[in-house]
Parts: sequence; structure tokens; C-alpha cells
Amino acid sequence: MTDQVRRLYVLALSVLGFFLAWAGIAAHPWAAAASQESTSGAALARYEQRLRADAALVDELRAQRAALPAPSVRVVTLPPLTTTRSS
Amino acid sequence: MERRCFDAMGTEVELFLDADDDPGALDRAEDELRRLEALLSRFRPDSELSQLNRAGRMRVGPELLEVTTVALAARARTRGRFDPTVHDALVAAGYDRTFDELAEVEGRAAYRPVACGGRVAVDHATSTVELEEGFRLDLGGIAKGWAVDRVLAELAVHGPALVNAGGDLAVCGRAWPVGLDTPRGAITLELRDGALATSGRDRRSWRGDGGERHHLIDPATGSPADGDLLTVTVTARSAAEAEVLAKELFLAGDLSAATAEADGNAIPAVLVSRDGATVLAGGLR
Repeated sequence: MTDQVRRLYVLALSVLGFFLAWAGIAAHPWAAAASQESTSGAALARYEQRLRADAALVDELRAQRAALPAPSVRVVTLPPLTTTRSS
Repeated sequence: MERRCFDAMGTEVELFLDADDDPGALDRAEDELRRLEALLSRFRPDSELSQLNRAGRMRVGPELLEVTTVALAARARTRGRFDPTVHDALVAAGYDRTFDELAEVEGRAAYRPVACGGRVAVDHATSTVELEEGFRLDLGGIAKGWAVDRVLAELAVHGPALVNAGGDLAVCGRAWPVGLDTPRGAITLELRDGALATSGRDRRSWRGDGGERHHLIDPATGSPADGDLLTVTVTARSAAEAEVLAKELFLAGDLSAATAEADGNAIPAVLVSRDGATVLAGGLR
């Protein structure tokens, strides 16, 4: 292999290396990782928000329930006025 | 004593009012129940609920906003055992039309379980409800219970009253004797200032490929609940709450698990298994 052919190979490999590095940098892999982190962080925040909203609803329901009079029920031998069944 | 019977919300409704100060009270109660049905039925394409299910996100009226809020609170309290997002699982199981229409259907598509537990966001500031894509609401039982409570509150202004809408019943003002049929004979429960709800697979069930199907979806599996229970009747302060408790106990798994839950949480209940065993639980005597 002559020096000229060797130089041509080196040049071709350099150009190939340059384009591979360029493609790698242009893909912004660090940006993807950061975006994934921010997506999971946002999902976690939404989940926490949902849990807080659910807890508030449960508190509201408990307060509404406590405000009603306590029901009283017992089995009797009277004839029924009406009959209930599966909804 | 005034009495009124009519069909609404897919069942027979009975109203009793022990007062005669306002002859129009029962008319208004009937109108209110029909108005709520028109808003909250999933079987009416023009109902507000059906519009929400089609749109996925919508500004809604105060009734739908409140029932959705109550249903979501129930889902949170029961850790998902009660779930208003079972709509598509019900449809997949074959309950895709009113029960009267269902009886006329022959030949059903193969059944597949459908995921439940979809996200539902309620924004009270803007009266907006938003459903996760792929999920729709079925407020059937809890909407009926909520409507019964609302109508009872209107009648209570005039005097002692009873509202009975199929399996959802609420009373106020005095003790009311209410009959409950079980395989071992009828029981009469004397109820004062409270509500009863019965969930069961004895009525709203149908045949499909692979056997019997019914309308009580277990959100954990996305298919009709398995287990040995036939019906569960529960007493609570309101019909909406009784409706949730009845479903919660029905989905406990079996008769012994439901009895233990009713006893442990002091929920007065009548539990009937498919082999006819009838248990009074939660301190009911």
C-alpha cells in the first residue's frame, strides 16, 4: 500500500468519524434523558395531586355522612308496607 | 297516607308521604326523579352523562358534578372496589342497553374483560369533568341512590316519607316496615331515618357464551364478580352510601368474607348466598 492510498484511507475514516460524531451530537441524547426525568417527575406530581384530591373527597363524604342522623334498623314481625329487592 | 307508583330509572318507583299539607308534593317528587334520570342515564344518548362519555371532557351541571364527586369519593374510600369507570366492562359483558331491551337480544359476542380504574378529574372551579382516554362513566346504582336521597329530602319537608326505587330505598320521619325476600322466606326490617340498598346477581343477569353474566363488575378483574353471594342488602345513613356499601360487600369475595367485613365495620346487612344461606350481619337483629 502506497503512502497516497494510506492517506486516502485516513482521510475517508476521518470524514466518516466526523459525520458519526456530528450525528451523535445532533441527536441530543442528554436532552432525551432530561426530558424523561421531567416527564416522570410531572407524572409523580399529578399522582400526588390525585391522591390529595381523593383524600379531600373522602373527608367531604365522611363529614356529610356524620351530619346525617344515625339510621335505626331491626327485624320485626310486622307486615311490610313495601318490598325492596336487587337494584 | 299518600302513595304514588311509576316507572323510572329502569325500575318501579314507589313514593309514600304521610302528610296532606301539599297535594302537589308527590307530583314534584316524580318530576324530579324523571329529570334526574334524563340527566344521569347512560342509556339515553341525549343525557348529560352520555354527552360527557362521548366528549371525554365537558363542563357539566351541578347534579352530574355532585354525583361524579360522590362516586369518586366512594372509589377512594373503598380503594377501588367501587368504581364508576366500569362502563366499558359492563358493555363488554353484554349490558349495552336497558335491561328490558337486553331480554330480547339473542346471540352475544365473545366476552373479554376490560380494564377499569380510569382517571377522572373533577374541577369544581370550572364545573368540568375530564375522563381518561378510553374510559367512560357508569353512575347507574349510585346515581339512583343519590336521586332517592334527593327526592326524600324534598318530601321530608312535608312529613314522614319513603322513597323506594328498586333496590334503593330511603325513609325519614318515623319507623317504616320494609319487606325483603330471601330464599328462606320474607324478612321485615323496621327502618327509621336511614336507607337500604340491595346489590345482587339474581335480577340483572343474562346468559352469554361461557355461562351466566351479571351487572356487578369487579374492577380488579374487569369482569362480572365471581363468588358465592347472591344478594347483599345494607343499611346506611343515605341510599347513595348504602349502594356503595352493598357493592363493596358483594365484591368482598364470598359469604364469610362479606359477613366478616359487615361485622367488623358494624354495617347492618342481610347476606344471601347462591345456595340459599341467609346471614344477618353487622349487629342486625
